[in-house]
Amino acid sequence: MAIRVNPKLVNELERYGAKDVMKCYHCGTCSAVCVHIGEPFMFPRHPGRNLQMGLESKLRNSLEPWLCYYCATCSEQCPRKAEPSETMMSLRRWLISRYDFTGFSRLLYQSWKAELAVILILAFLTGAGFLLWGFSHGDIRSFDGPNAFLSSSYVHIFDWAMAGVLTFFLTVNSLRMWWFTLGGRKDISVPWLAYAKGVYLLPLHFFTQMRYAKCEQKFPWVIHLILMFSYITMFVLIMFFLHAVQSGPAINWNAHVFGYPAALGLIGTCIYLVRGRLKKNQPWHVHSHVSDWMFLILLLYVAVTGVVLHVLHRSGLGFAANITYVVHMAGVVPMLLVEVPFSKWSHMMYRPLAMFFADLVAMGLRKKARKPSALSSPELAHVS
Amino acid sequence: MEEVRIGVYICNCGTNIAKVVDCEAIRQSLSKMPNVVVARTYKYMCSNPGQEMIVENIRKHDLNRVVVAACSPRMHERTFRKALQHAGINPYFFEMANIREQCSWVHEDPDAATAKALAVTRAAVLRVAHHEPLEKLYADMCPSTLVLGGGIAGLSAALELADADHQVFLVEKTDRLGGNLARVDLTAPHLYSARDLLTDRITRVREHPKIQVMLESELKNLSGFVGNFTALVGPVKGNGNAPREQSMEVGSVVVCIGYKEFDAGRITHYGYGKLPNVITSFEFEKMLREGKIQTKEGRIPQYFAIVHCVGSRSRDYHGYCSRVCCMTALKYAHEIKSALPKSYVSDLYIDMHAFGKGHEDFYLESSEAKTLFLMYGKNEHPVIKRAQPGDDCEMLIEVSEKLSGEEIEIPADVVILMVGMEAQPGADHVARLVNISQDKDGWYIESHPKLDPVATTTEGIFIAGTCAAPKDIPDTVAQARAAAARILGRIARQKIEIDAVFAEVDEDRCSGCRMCNSLCPYSAIEFDEEKHRSKVNSALCKACGACVAACPSRAIKARHFTDEQILAQIEGVLA
Repeated sequence: MAIRVNPKLVNELERYGAKDVMKCYHCGTCSAVCVHIGEPFMFPRHPGRNLQMGLESKLRNSLEPWLCYYCATCSEQCPRKAEPSETMMSLRRWLISRYDFTGFSRLLYQSWKAELAVILILAFLTGAGFLLWGFSHGDIRSFDGPNAFLSSSYVHIFDWAMAGVLTFFLTVNSLRMWWFTLGGRKDISVPWLAYAKGVYLLPLHFFTQMRYAKCEQKFPWVIHLILMFSYITMFVLIMFFLHAVQSGPAINWNAHVFGYPAALGLIGTCIYLVRGRLKKNQPWHVHSHVSDWMFLILLLYVAVTGVVLHVLHRSGLGFAANITYVVHMAGVVPMLLVEVPFSKWSHMMYRPLAMFFADLVAMGLRKKARKPSALSSPELAHVS
Repeated sequence: MEEVRIGVYICNCGTNIAKVVDCEAIRQSLSKMPNVVVARTYKYMCSNPGQEMIVENIRKHDLNRVVVAACSPRMHERTFRKALQHAGINPYFFEMANIREQCSWVHEDPDAATAKALAVTRAAVLRVAHHEPLEKLYADMCPSTLVLGGGIAGLSAALELADADHQVFLVEKTDRLGGNLARVDLTAPHLYSARDLLTDRITRVREHPKIQVMLESELKNLSGFVGNFTALVGPVKGNGNAPREQSMEVGSVVVCIGYKEFDAGRITHYGYGKLPNVITSFEFEKMLREGKIQTKEGRIPQYFAIVHCVGSRSRDYHGYCSRVCCMTALKYAHEIKSALPKSYVSDLYIDMHAFGKGHEDFYLESSEAKTLFLMYGKNEHPVIKRAQPGDDCEMLIEVSEKLSGEEIEIPADVVILMVGMEAQPGADHVARLVNISQDKDGWYIESHPKLDPVATTTEGIFIAGTCAAPKDIPDTVAQARAAAARILGRIARQKIEIDAVFAEVDEDRCSGCRMCNSLCPYSAIEFDEEKHRSKVNSALCKACGACVAACPSRAIKARHFTDEQILAQIEGVLA
């Protein structure tokens, strides 16, 4: 059964940031220098080849893009300057848009105007909504206490509702990812026990990103770890200790002993990354898609407005603090609603899942190799 | 008879000879032989002091024969003959014994090697006593040249010679000049127009007072030898309008009859001749020249596919690479993308031969233009078939693709087959006429594959361009102008030097049986009808000795290889 070549796919991937994909002439140097490859996952040349030939279903079912951490050694070594690491990045963006069942992700990735419009609309709606709520439930000059403009008990409910919405989208999209990469594959079968045995990989990779540490340069892994733990700290504080965070004006040290380093971590790493992308000072900072900028800028905005809000609150400027809170939430809501299910932030779910699934896929393929008559498919004839 | 006085010199060649052969022992043994006046060893006989020693010895000891036991005569026979000439005696009074390439370099046992070297040198000493003084002969060099083929090679050679003010006869079998290049639109990698390359040359050739162009003509006969050929040129068979036969005197011939393209119909997998939109590279050039790229049904194609190595690099057809097709295929990718930017081009190749200047950059540019490169295996064939009615393309090409390991099918509305080069169908006939050889693939054989690319084993006959092997325009023009330069060099010397060593027929003993005539591989023996005797043309004779051995009347003698000389040599070896 011959697979149809589709030369048009490359044009589509260019909207996701792919550059110079056709320049690759398959010398294999990129895969040779990559520290992460191992049977059956060989990249970046193999997904690059599938992309060149437009083998869309093979790409959609592949896990390789998630096993890459953009150390950019492959791009540095490429004799043709075919930018294989940016190809892998664009494949990650493309996969995010494919896992998403709504079609929003596709729209937002391909049109920066659409993304900007959606963010601004959401910001406006959030701001207006919070102002209306605040005016109808409290006093704009009062930040905390019984007359609080935006009382933590209500914001708390709002936060959890949003978390529910995001969880829903992420869960459905993750199930789709599982179906494409593992569950729906007719050529391999993996027993449920294997899933159970391997499920520890999910939190392990989520919290450590230990595969990232295998890259030659350790600093990007460290930066990412700091960024991630800062965010998780803020997340935990806001979701579970909002009352403590918002109480005041005296600083609640039980909460803020975590909040201060978290804020520092967020702002520091964001500035470092923004600066890096502006100056293109590292090989992995050379290419920036609109989604890369949106992510950093929104996060920085949210972190900075959060700090400003904190300062104003503790300084007793209730009115200014409340306005800042509205402005802050007008950034938080679009950031989370756009990024988490439909854009860059979804990698927090897809990457650990990919590690988990990769293990199972490899097991399934090994099993198949030992029993060639059962469940063999010509598409995987070259994988042993 | 004058007394024979022989000087023998045994070279050490540094340690090359001396390490294995005991030169001093040989010297001692030889000094006891009859007629040996001087016997010496020396470190490097070919050096200036070595040669000067010979000259000085000749004068001092009144030597009239010299033997040097050293390397191969192919290395230094000429050197030592010059030394003899310098000393005032005939250079053919010299004999060389090879005790290096055929002795010290190939044997390890010193005793056995020394014994062999001694035998060989003794043979040389006995032989040289029978040497006769020989003189070189000279013939005139006619400055006119016959050029066979009016393509870019023929045009370039003709202009080079005519611009130096020498007559050229340019013979072309079709009715126009330009050859295969005239069928091409643009050239790779710089995308120059072929027309620009040719028009200037064709005009100059036509208008040149020193070039006589004969179209629709071919060579009928060639006789003679270098510097003194007689050529007979006449109309191509079946052509009534062409001029009558013409005979001309020329000194050299340049054969540049070009190539013919492979017949794609021979490979049934490609469907050439059955599927209307499977075309050859030359058919695509015609589309490009006319400025109309479309399917046979008149539609603008969306998908193009180009297949490399059609008829080349194949076990079943031709084993060689046709050299130009890879870059030409990339040229098509460029031209298609600039004419139809929204089209898709797939390029099916085995290897990408991007050997020349600017070729790798051209390859990179094709990738940047988003050509999809697909690799198929040597001796495998992609299969081209019609697509289903509902599909968005005319044809599908099935191929086992090597860079991905997948079996794929590629959409194509037009498929361009890069047909390889073949020798012209009449190339063997021309080869017989001018007395040159073809290799197993039909290409003309040059005098030395590395060091002498345009000369042939027949002196005065040169080859240039694709008739010698597939090559591109730069190499073709280089060879054509190289052949012209060689001819100009000969013309400048004005006389042809004929080697003193050749066979001679003794008229008194020749019975006129003519057995030697057909034996001679160089066609050097003529028959004089009036005298009823065979005669050797000394200019053509290479002294191979076939006629000498064959003559039943023992009427032919090879100068410098007489019976006495050879028998003396045998005696020396066996002693």
